[in-house]
Amino acid sequence: MNVLSVRGLCKRYGSFALRDVSFDVAPGSITGFIGRNGAGKTTTLKSLLDFVHPDAGEALFFGRPLSADEFGVKQAVGFASGGFGFYPLKRLRTVTDVTRRFYPSWNETAYRRYLALFALDENKRVKELSEGMKVKYALALALSHRARLLVLDEPTSGLDPVSRDELLEIFLQLAQDEGISILFSTHITSDLEKCADHIVYLRQGEVAADADADALRARYRTAALTAAQRDAAPEGLLLGCKREREGFSALLRAEDAPRLGADTAPASLEDIMVHLEKEDGGL
Amino acid sequence: MKNLMRKELLLAMHPASMLFLLLSAMLLIPNYPYYVICFYTCLGTFFICLTGRENRDIEFTALLPVRKTDLVRARVFTVMLMQLAQLVIAVPFAVFSSRVSAENLVGMDANTAFFGFALVLYGVFNLVFFRNYYRAPGKVGKAFGWGCGALTLCMVVFEACAHTVPFVRDRLDTPDPAFLGEKLTLLAAGAALYVLLSALALRRAMHSFAALDL
Repeated sequence: MNVLSVRGLCKRYGSFALRDVSFDVAPGSITGFIGRNGAGKTTTLKSLLDFVHPDAGEALFFGRPLSADEFGVKQAVGFASGGFGFYPLKRLRTVTDVTRRFYPSWNETAYRRYLALFALDENKRVKELSEGMKVKYALALALSHRARLLVLDEPTSGLDPVSRDELLEIFLQLAQDEGISILFSTHITSDLEKCADHIVYLRQGEVAADADADALRARYRTAALTAAQRDAAPEGLLLGCKREREGFSALLRAEDAPRLGADTAPASLEDIMVHLEKEDGGL
Repeated sequence: MKNLMRKELLLAMHPASMLFLLLSAMLLIPNYPYYVICFYTCLGTFFICLTGRENRDIEFTALLPVRKTDLVRARVFTVMLMQLAQLVIAVPFAVFSSRVSAENLVGMDANTAFFGFALVLYGVFNLVFFRNYYRAPGKVGKAFGWGCGALTLCMVVFEACAHTVPFVRDRLDTPDPAFLGEKLTLLAAGAALYVLLSALALRRAMHSFAALDL
C-alpha cells in the first residue's frame, strides 16, 4: 500500500489553477516534487494536510483520508515547510516540551539521539539556528514522533552546498535504513539527482511527469548546437532551445536523437525542467 | 485541549498580556473610568494574536495532531481565562477602593454591578474581535480595530447610563452593599450574557476558520 496517494486534486486561485494532480508515494522511497516557482508545489502540499481546501480530489495517507483520522494521520506524518520557522524567540527545549505532549508515540530516546546526531543544542533559541539546523530540528521533531512519511516543502532552499549535501545524506539514511518515505518539493533539481527514486514534475498546476527518476532522465537527451545545426533540425524536434555562451542547447526526446545528426548527451533533471519550461514560453 | 492550553501559555502568550492583569490595580485610582482595565485585557489579546502572526503560531498548531477547530477553541478559552483573571484580581482592589475612597465622580463605582457590566464588555469584544480575526488571521489590526470600537462604544454607553439613567445612577452606581440584590442580579445577567456572547463568538470563529485556506 502506498503511504500517500493523491487523486485528482484541483484548486483554483484567481488566475492560477491546480488541475487534476495525482501521484503516489511508495513506502521507503524518496519522491522529488519539482517545478518552477509558482507551479503549485506548495499549494499541493498544503492541500494534503487540509491547510488549503481543494475544490476537488483527495489525498489518502496509508489508505485513509485525513478527515477520517486526522489525529492518527498527523501522528504518522511529519510536515516541514522550509526549516523550523516558528517562535524564533523560544528555546528549543520549550518548543519540544510543548510539542512532545501531543504525541503518545513520542520517543524521547530517539529525540535525544537525533539531537546528538544533528548537533542541536536545546538551550539555543530558534532564531539562533542556521537554516540548515532549522531543517534538522524540524526533522528531529518529526522523527521523534515516529513519522513514517515526511512531507518537506523546499527543505534545502537557502542552504549552502555542504549543508544541502549533508541533509540529502540524512534523507537517504532515513529512507534506506529506517524505511521512512519522503516527499520533498524543491526547485533545486540537482538535489534530487543525488537521492530521489521517483519524480513528480508539476508544470503550471498540472503533473507534467510522474515517473521513476532514472526512467524520466532516460526519456530525454540534450544537445549542444551551433546556429546552423539548430536551423537544420527538423521541425518540432528540439524542445526549449535556448541560447548558451557558445551556441545553443536543446532538449529532445531520446527516440528522436538519431534524427538530429549531432552529438547528444544524457539529460539531467535540471535540463529537462529548464528546457520544458522554456518550451512553454515560460522563460 | 489541556495540551493546547499549555501551548497557548508557554508559546503563544505575550509577556505584556500577563503584566496587563496587574492593571486591575487601577481600581485604586480615585475618580477614574474603571472600565479601562477591560481595554487592557483586550489589548493583551491583540498582542497575543499579533505575535502569533509573526511566530506563525497558527501554522505550527495546525500541524499538531489536533482538529483545526480545537485551535480556535484553545485561543478563545485562553482569552476568557485572562478576562476572568483580570476581574478576579480586581476584586480585592474594588473592595479596598470602596472602603477608602468616596463615590467615583467620573463613572461607575468599582462595585458588584461594575463586574457585571465588565463581563458584558468582554462578551461584546469577544464576539466582534474573534469573528473578524478568524476570517483573516493576517489582519489582526483590523479585527482589533472593530473589537476595540465595539468595546469603546459600550464603555461610553455604560458610563453615560451611570450619569443619566435613574435606575443605574441611583441604585447600581452606589457603593456596596447598598442595593446588593439589584447589583447581584446585574452581575448574574452580565455573566450569562458573557457566556452567551463568547459561545457565539466561538461558534462563528470556528466556522470561519474551518473554511479558511492557510
